[in-house]
Amino acid sequence: MNMLSNVGWSEMLLMALFGFLMVFTVLVLLIFVMKTMGWFFTREHKAKVAATAETAHPHDHAISDQELAAAIITALKLYKSALHDRESEMLTINRITRAYSPWNSKIHGLTQLPEKK
Amino acid sequence: MMTLFSDNFIIESLGKFVETSGFMAFFAGEGWKFIVMIALACFLLYLAIKKQFEPLLLLPIAFGMLLTNLPFAEMFHSELFAGGHVHWDIFVDNAGLIDYLYLGVKLGIYPCLIFVGVGAMTDFGPLIANPKSFLLGAAAQIGIFATFLGAYALGFAPNECGSIGIIGGADGPTSIFLTARLAPELLGPIAIAAYSYMALVPVIQPPIMKALTTKQERMIKMSQLRQVSKTEKIIFPVIIAIVISLLLPSAAPLVGCLMLGNLMKECGVVDRLSKTVQNELMNIVVIFLGISVGATATADSFLNLRTLFILALGIIAFSFGTAGGVLLAKFMNLFAKEGNKINPLIGSAGVSAVPMAARVSQTVGQKENPSNFLLMHAMGPNVAGVVGSAVAAGILLAFLG
Repeated sequence: MNMLSNVGWSEMLLMALFGFLMVFTVLVLLIFVMKTMGWFFTREHKAKVAATAETAHPHDHAISDQELAAAIITALKLYKSALHDRESEMLTINRITRAYSPWNSKIHGLTQLPEKK
Repeated sequence: MMTLFSDNFIIESLGKFVETSGFMAFFAGEGWKFIVMIALACFLLYLAIKKQFEPLLLLPIAFGMLLTNLPFAEMFHSELFAGGHVHWDIFVDNAGLIDYLYLGVKLGIYPCLIFVGVGAMTDFGPLIANPKSFLLGAAAQIGIFATFLGAYALGFAPNECGSIGIIGGADGPTSIFLTARLAPELLGPIAIAAYSYMALVPVIQPPIMKALTTKQERMIKMSQLRQVSKTEKIIFPVIIAIVISLLLPSAAPLVGCLMLGNLMKECGVVDRLSKTVQNELMNIVVIFLGISVGATATADSFLNLRTLFILALGIIAFSFGTAGGVLLAKFMNLFAKEGNKINPLIGSAGVSAVPMAARVSQTVGQKENPSNFLLMHAMGPNVAGVVGSAVAAGILLAFLG
């Protein structure tokens, strides 16, 4: 700390400037590292995309986004309108199961027979 | 036996009891300072419990502050750490529980352990997908260096300036790590300023973000980030730890621990360890760190003009950091093609404060354009800010340590 006792404004300004520049430099270096890593890991995917684009017919691209959206919407509409409501096909009265309670228990509502011993 | 129970004896005993009670200290000399500090600790407890300002840390800090300011309780002995180092020769005879807990702060253990947990909870995917976010994280560190100069202008020593400046990193463990090494006597005010302002990020940042951007800029929609593979996520912490530790060895403890935690999460083979550092270890360390940091806020070290200066400089640091990120994003837009423009609001997330700052970018962006989702884009600069503030701390430590 003794060295720091003689520090003046010029040294402080330099420290702040160099400090900030060093933070920038280190992080810019990391950008290059990450970009290289990103390129390495995405190059296969990009090559696949490029290959698909080459094999595709040129008139495929002639379809505009709006036309594509209209086609998807129409297909969905046709699909949904073609669907039927699914019915259970059971014509009997539904069974209702009540939760047990002493108030609705049949056994408690009847006179119990005396036990034979 | 008669003398034992004589009137004089009882009066003397009662007199001694009253003299040694903490209440008497309130009325002696500078006893009012204890009352002020206890009131302040209670206010911080109120903020933590009622207003939920970073409660996980503010609550133990406030209670540590309360304990250390109870007269005659002698919970914390600052003389054991006088001069910036541990006096081991008198430590064992005089140290109490909080003194032992404080060793974790003094030796830089707790901030690093917390960073392991933070790493295990952080998803670096948005940063890997868009490495340019590192620039925004770097720009936001201007708050640290601007405040460094501001503190010097107010008469602080250079090492203290470094500790005060790091508040601008908006990163509690980093602030504590650096301050414990550079200016341990300022630990209490700096920790309280750092955590209080981090909780106030949603209040501090939006006016600055709005003042520096136009409505059109705030409405910019950003393209979707690419998918990041698992292998990339595993390699990322290893590369960052190697590169930063080699470039800046003084930043190695923080960055190394951050990346260790992240590797535990991403590799998927040490699930138990990952869960432990995210939960149990993190929680235990937060309790120890909070109590011991709060205990350093004694009346003598806290109630002075310097504390007010630190609190004022802290808010300047946050404001400069926010402005730095936003302005750099605007500058980058000058060179970006249409469709690749950055919404400048994500620049403000470059101050760490994960994930609060990213949420603020999302909220402010959605107010202008409800269909705009900036959260994932803002997470990139946000986690870059964590790395950036750790790097800045390493640089300050190398310069001033």
